[in-house]
Amino acid sequence: MGAISLVARRDYFAYIGAWGFWVSLLLAPLILAALTIGPLFLARAEPPRLLTILADRPSDAALAAQAFADDARERLRGDLAGYLDTGAPAAKQAVLAAFDAAPDQRAAITAARTRLAVDSPQALRSFPTPSPRYLVIAPPAPQISGVRAYLDGERTLAGGRTLYGAINIRRTAAGPAIEYWSANLSHQEPLVIVRETLRAAMRHEALALRGVDRAESDRLDALEPQTQQFDPRPSAPQGRITLRQRAPFYAAILLSFILWSVVFSTANMLLNGVIEEKSNKILDTLLTSITPLQLLIGKLLGVAAVSATLFLVWGALGGVLVNAAASRMGDSILGQIAAGFLDPRLIAAFLIGFIAGYLIYGAIFLAFGALCESIQEAQTALGVATLIMALPMMLIAPALDNPNAPLIETASWFPLFTPFMLLMRAPAGLSWLEIAGMGALMFAFAALVLLLASRVFHAGVVDQVSMTGWRRKKA
Amino acid sequence: MNAALQAEGLIKRFGARAAVDDLTFEVPQGAIYGVLGPNGAGKSTTMRMLVGVLKPSAGRVSVKGAPLTREALHNVGYLPEERGLYRNMSARSAIAYLARLRGVASRKAHKRADELLTAQGLGKVRRKKIKTFSKGMAQKVQVLAAIAHEPDIIILDEPFAGLDPVNQRGLEDMIRTQAAAGRTVLFSTHVMEHAERLCDRILLINGGRKAFEGSVQDALALAPSTAMLETDGDFDLSAALAGRGFNIAADGQEHGSRRWRAHLENGAGSRQLLAACVEAGAPLSLFEPARASLHEAFVALVGDEAAKKAAE
Repeated sequence: MGAISLVARRDYFAYIGAWGFWVSLLLAPLILAALTIGPLFLARAEPPRLLTILADRPSDAALAAQAFADDARERLRGDLAGYLDTGAPAAKQAVLAAFDAAPDQRAAITAARTRLAVDSPQALRSFPTPSPRYLVIAPPAPQISGVRAYLDGERTLAGGRTLYGAINIRRTAAGPAIEYWSANLSHQEPLVIVRETLRAAMRHEALALRGVDRAESDRLDALEPQTQQFDPRPSAPQGRITLRQRAPFYAAILLSFILWSVVFSTANMLLNGVIEEKSNKILDTLLTSITPLQLLIGKLLGVAAVSATLFLVWGALGGVLVNAAASRMGDSILGQIAAGFLDPRLIAAFLIGFIAGYLIYGAIFLAFGALCESIQEAQTALGVATLIMALPMMLIAPALDNPNAPLIETASWFPLFTPFMLLMRAPAGLSWLEIAGMGALMFAFAALVLLLASRVFHAGVVDQVSMTGWRRKKA
Repeated sequence: MNAALQAEGLIKRFGARAAVDDLTFEVPQGAIYGVLGPNGAGKSTTMRMLVGVLKPSAGRVSVKGAPLTREALHNVGYLPEERGLYRNMSARSAIAYLARLRGVASRKAHKRADELLTAQGLGKVRRKKIKTFSKGMAQKVQVLAAIAHEPDIIILDEPFAGLDPVNQRGLEDMIRTQAAAGRTVLFSTHVMEHAERLCDRILLINGGRKAFEGSVQDALALAPSTAMLETDGDFDLSAALAGRGFNIAADGQEHGSRRWRAHLENGAGSRQLLAACVEAGAPLSLFEPARASLHEAFVALVGDEAAKKAAE
């Protein structure tokens, strides 16, 4: 045990001492934060997209313009709700009610600020500013043929601005026909916004012709059945499913990605480590003091300790944030998702999956490393292994759709996939017995892999069996 | 003879090929013992079996009469042919780490590393990373790492390879110092001069098999002795000594004198040759008996081809 711990400690401190470790330690949370906040920030940083509306009937143009004004107000309401979740959860309901009651956006902002100043004055400082996605401007030309030059970049608007899109509403015998013109072919949102508004207007018009007044027409429009989803299992006594019950599934996806990337990167660390030792020609010296199996276990433990350090730091940071979010934000969306990470089955699945997954993939990569002369050779040889490792990631989407589908259930008992599939299935009513069973399967498989890997490792480092040697023999 | 290391009937096969074939030898306690042979003779394979890195296909190795075990290996220092250290470790840490793997306590291992590095003139750079060292310095550190745990038996595989003459001399001194301290040193080399200067006993291997084992003197005795002679004028020494059992060949001619090379065979010595020359009235201007070298002994034992390979 002494020699194993010495090897583990040496490897641990060698990795901890490398700048790459500190980069990973500090950069990973920053990257995760950037990936989470970045798109939101970028979306806000983007100036409003300029749209213009042409219409045979001025009333159609007015309706379309109103649709974009409503969209801007809806987006601001979303921002405000999110802001209140974190900044003033107690005041949320009242502030939003004040916002909704105001006739237009400007009045809504004033009403919300006034209410917030009463309920939670300290939260006023970071009150969100409106960031509309679209801004409707007057048409630069009377006909769409003239506007096209502004859309394809041939001409620009005053101040060098670019026209993003144009809505052209023609009147035909069958009713309004909406044309949406934009150089951005993959984006249709402005068309959808106008279509929904005109559709509602057409309904109101049709109902009015049948003698239904506007208030009644609005009431009819608002008709919608109440929907609820229930969990029939005895483990869910309340039955009703809310975001809180679904949150562990979303948490499982994120944890699966984290697990996959950590297992893969640490296994790669082992691979690089053993190839480095081979090229440094230190192995013969070590093997007079320690057996290949002890060396293999020592290296696995050393890198496991590195991963544990990373997890400890990230886990502590994430745990504090998740806990704070779960308790502070209560029933808000963020609060419910944060609570999803605290599902005990999920935590157990993550821990078991990490330890067993690391042992399995770490031992395989170590054995590969022992047979390779260079990183390039290892990477080529690991092509197939990498593909196999990528397979469970491809099963994540179907697993989210139905975690207990036969394919997912079968895959979860295939030890190479179990660490990831166990995580995906953990929130889907997996019993503790099944979790323990999969854990036992993984650890038994890990023991077998370790045994085989130690033999391959022995052949690689002691008998100097290598892939290059095989190729030479074949040639 | 008290054996520090004993190999009995060692065989190592890689597939159908026997890299080492039925090798038996004993390394006496406190001796400097050389394992000689051309490249591919099986020296490193033998060394790796002696330190338990390779398992013999047959035969056994004993350390001080006891079977080779991990514990017994803690008393053996080993410098492999394929050698290196962790490049990002300091010289001090690398030596101490390997000593600790061989059972030395942390504090003692570091103290010992400091002492050894200081004694070898590397005290000032002991905390520097090995990757900043020259090849010679790094090799010195590797040798120190092999002896840091103060083993009774030191096994060095091609220790002189890659060293400049100054460092080779330094290593020779270190080997002598270790032997003087009562330690047994076994090293392999294909440079006969090192073995000739250092070894008490040698083992010659060729093609995985033992060609000779014994003292250096015994090996030298196997090599044919020669002598260089010079006669004035046209005197034909070869003809004059014909039938007296000497093998004499002309070796050149210059400034009115002729040079001859005499191969002393069948137990004939340089004294008998000189007496025969005087008796034959040879006008000798030079008589220079040449001492046989280990290389010549090696040629005599394994043949010219193997000797050429050894010299490469």
